[in-house]
Amino acid sequence: MYTETYLGEGQSTTGSHSPATASSILVADCGTVFTKVSLLGLVEGQYRLMARGEAPTTVAPPYQDISKGIIQAINEVEFITGRHFVDNGRIISPEQPTGDGIDLFVATISAGGPMRLIVLGAVNSKLEELTAQAVSGLYAETYPLPAPSYLATTTQDTLTVGTVAKGSSNLGKQGQETSERKDLEWQRQLERVRELRPHAALIVGTTDNPAGPKPLQEACQLVINAVQELNKYQYGSAPARGDQNNASSRQLPVLYAGAPQFVEAVRRMLDGYTEVTRVETLVSQEQLGPTSVAATALYERDVIQRVPGYNHILSWSKTVPIATVSSLSSLVRFLAQHYTMNVTAVDVGGTTTTVMMAGEHSEFIPLVNTGVGVGPGLDNILKKAGPQRVARWLPFNITEDELQQYVLNRMLHPQVIPASLRDLQIGQAFAREAIILTVEAARNHHFGQFDADLILATGGVLAHAPKFGQAALILLDALQPRGVTSMVLDRTMLISQLGAVATVAPIAAVQVNENDAVMHRLGTCVIPYGDLPQGQVAIRVGIEYNSGRQVTAEVMSGSIETIPLRINEQALLTLYPAPTVDVGLGPGERARAAEEIDGGLVGLVIDARGRPLVFPTDETQRHARLLQWMQVVGA
Amino acid sequence: MTYPLGWSVIRQILIRRERWPGGYKTRGTALVHPGQEVQPDQPVIHLERLDLADTITEFPRLASPTPPYAGQSADYSGVQGSIRTNSQLISGLVPAGLRGRVINITHRGGVIIESRAAIIQGALGAGNQVAGILTAWNAASWFQEPGAILSNRPLEADASRPFLPGAILVVPGPLNFAMLLQAMSFRVAGIVASSISSRDLSDFLRTDLIALLNSIDIELAQEHLPPVTLLFTEGLGTVAMPARTINLLSRYQGSMALLSGATSIRQSIFPELIISLSVKEVQQNWRPVQPDPALTIGSLVRVCSGIHEGVIGEIDHLFIYQQTFAAGVRGRAARLRLEDGSTLVMPLTLLERIG
Repeated sequence: MYTETYLGEGQSTTGSHSPATASSILVADCGTVFTKVSLLGLVEGQYRLMARGEAPTTVAPPYQDISKGIIQAINEVEFITGRHFVDNGRIISPEQPTGDGIDLFVATISAGGPMRLIVLGAVNSKLEELTAQAVSGLYAETYPLPAPSYLATTTQDTLTVGTVAKGSSNLGKQGQETSERKDLEWQRQLERVRELRPHAALIVGTTDNPAGPKPLQEACQLVINAVQELNKYQYGSAPARGDQNNASSRQLPVLYAGAPQFVEAVRRMLDGYTEVTRVETLVSQEQLGPTSVAATALYERDVIQRVPGYNHILSWSKTVPIATVSSLSSLVRFLAQHYTMNVTAVDVGGTTTTVMMAGEHSEFIPLVNTGVGVGPGLDNILKKAGPQRVARWLPFNITEDELQQYVLNRMLHPQVIPASLRDLQIGQAFAREAIILTVEAARNHHFGQFDADLILATGGVLAHAPKFGQAALILLDALQPRGVTSMVLDRTMLISQLGAVATVAPIAAVQVNENDAVMHRLGTCVIPYGDLPQGQVAIRVGIEYNSGRQVTAEVMSGSIETIPLRINEQALLTLYPAPTVDVGLGPGERARAAEEIDGGLVGLVIDARGRPLVFPTDETQRHARLLQWMQVVGA
Repeated sequence: MTYPLGWSVIRQILIRRERWPGGYKTRGTALVHPGQEVQPDQPVIHLERLDLADTITEFPRLASPTPPYAGQSADYSGVQGSIRTNSQLISGLVPAGLRGRVINITHRGGVIIESRAAIIQGALGAGNQVAGILTAWNAASWFQEPGAILSNRPLEADASRPFLPGAILVVPGPLNFAMLLQAMSFRVAGIVASSISSRDLSDFLRTDLIALLNSIDIELAQEHLPPVTLLFTEGLGTVAMPARTINLLSRYQGSMALLSGATSIRQSIFPELIISLSVKEVQQNWRPVQPDPALTIGSLVRVCSGIHEGVIGEIDHLFIYQQTFAAGVRGRAARLRLEDGSTLVMPLTLLERIG
């Protein structure tokens, strides 16, 4: 998997301070629902988070200007600090002797919606999968529309569905029927394009298929028709061919990753209708990088830069605002390499859930589950996971109607905070499923098990959880990690912006990360797995505190326990798993930590519930079990 | 939510709207020209249906998801005649619905009209833009008991004001499935009500409500909806209509209004009812409002979710520090002074400014 590191090209417009020596930095993250602003400053020679503000994002009417929400959030920071950072709708820069103003402004954006990318040509399941992987690190949705001729020659069953059923007497007219259905499929695809309003098209596929080069030709024809159709509805007339200067002719830019020998033919066909960017022919995982880079460039140009108010914030900044996910990926990879450990980052947002796994050997798996989130993205969770899966996390009965009503209300009012414990628990149940769906999507991309040493969690539903135990239990339930791991909660919701800060002020990014962003250490978790013996002890844990005190705990299979190990406390662990139970070194293998483990806000968690988690089928028992788990971890 | 114009009820504002009754498969021919003054009942568009891809929807789609309306079964046995959808109804002459000046003609034949108007923006709705006469449900009694739960009562036309086909019916309380069917049998063009349960609404619309609200192309998504445009001022549930909304609606009873039900979360489109002010009103009392959605001391606000949903009050204090609420969640908060003099502390995120 590949995601381009952001290099942070400078666009100096305000102030004269070198970014690396900035003594005050304002960082804004414009999410789909909320805009968060953080003030970073020097305190005794170290960069620290000084204040943060939050306001609803203002990308939609009546404001339709993302900078308004940033200013509202900055006003909150001004209120807290007593300093002024905005004057007449502009950022004051550089920092003044009075303390007003800042030296550097950095912005990340996830508002603006996902990039809708139609995938055309000879799209088989492998290419469908590859294209999804190529954009898995972006806010993007792919919609495969295989060429009608390709469908006709490769998916007999699909094409016999329709006006003529399989085995009917009309089979003698198969050629004619196929032609009719190709026409129908053609019109259906046009209608689908009209419905989707895609931002871009990706043409894939080589010619070693039964339809030969025809799918590429049809892909071009579909693009031409789509451009004409889009222009007709948007501008009243189709642009004349060759009208390159017409802005509308850039409505559906094309990335060409198909057969190399046809690239010029494709350019000729689309000349005058749209721009064509050639990328390496996509046939295997090796070519994902170029496709991913090209898609990222399109996303930044056609989605981020078109967010209302983008130019306004660009004028405040020395750096180009970048996608929040690009910023997060930079930070996660940095952490994995810097601390030589496997890091899993989880960000549950309003419309997107992101899980990123970065390994100490530069492995990197980003999975941005676009459209799945705990705000406007709730509908996709309900649709993909189903009401039963959501309801299984709730210690009370709930009807499908109530869940549906919850989703609708949250979609209409994504910014509201839970008004009751019931509301809170429903929201947290959806958060679990959002993470599970994202991890499942990663597995569908054939990414294997990834055992994290550190789980880093961010996003409103986790950061604003009233109890640390609630955040810990959501992560344990949803990620179902194995072995030994530690969990950190980013309550400041800063980590997804620090990657962007690092491109211009790396020292500030590192210091704020260590001093503030990852300061809410939830604790270390021991998660035995394998064949847990029912009704017996799964693991015995020996704890030797740095005070010299020694404790031994036995944890039964199917249960979860916490052992007090507070923040600033350390202990040495010795693990004695049952013969069939594994803690990372093989079944029954005893493990003794080489280094002391740190305590946390929840404590040392021993999760012997088994993998995968199994719920009692009886509702009353399930409720009791969930309540017990919550009680144990203080949720 | 933040209303696209800032507040949910605006008594006077200068707006521009495209008069377009909806539908991809239609083409309009403007009957007016830019600069021309139009009256609400004046035909401004001649609408024709296009045959474009009409037959496609008759065939099962080869690889697309099931259409959102498939699999739903609503009982329309109480409605006489066959059920028509929005797409089947659109043709003929289209009245302006607004009083004002034609600003432009759009490529599809829509007419952009500038008008001085009163606007009610809803929390939720469905259906294409329609024009009709505002007609109160049981006008004789409803102002005496605003917000009463009307669910079990049949719709009754006031003897002096019968439900005319094409009217926009105003129901000052929650609506239910039976009332919707009844209203459709009266062939009203639209209904303005306070709220409805999600089940009743999705059953009536015969669609997956979530998919409808989240559709990328709202016009296409609305093609198969029943031909009654709906606007719910408060949204889902059984929330009563605020007195200020009722007052505005009662004031303009009998006037022609323009109602759009289209609601798209993706595109921040919300339903609205626009009532052009009379010439006399404009001449004598034109004080347009510039709505400011910012929450400040003195703002009139409405609670948009939770057990206090629908409560209206004035902000009399903004807390400096975050407050802790029922679920243990902390957030910035305001103290509201309610109409009865009592106070209520609410998170800012649950408040929407209405005045």
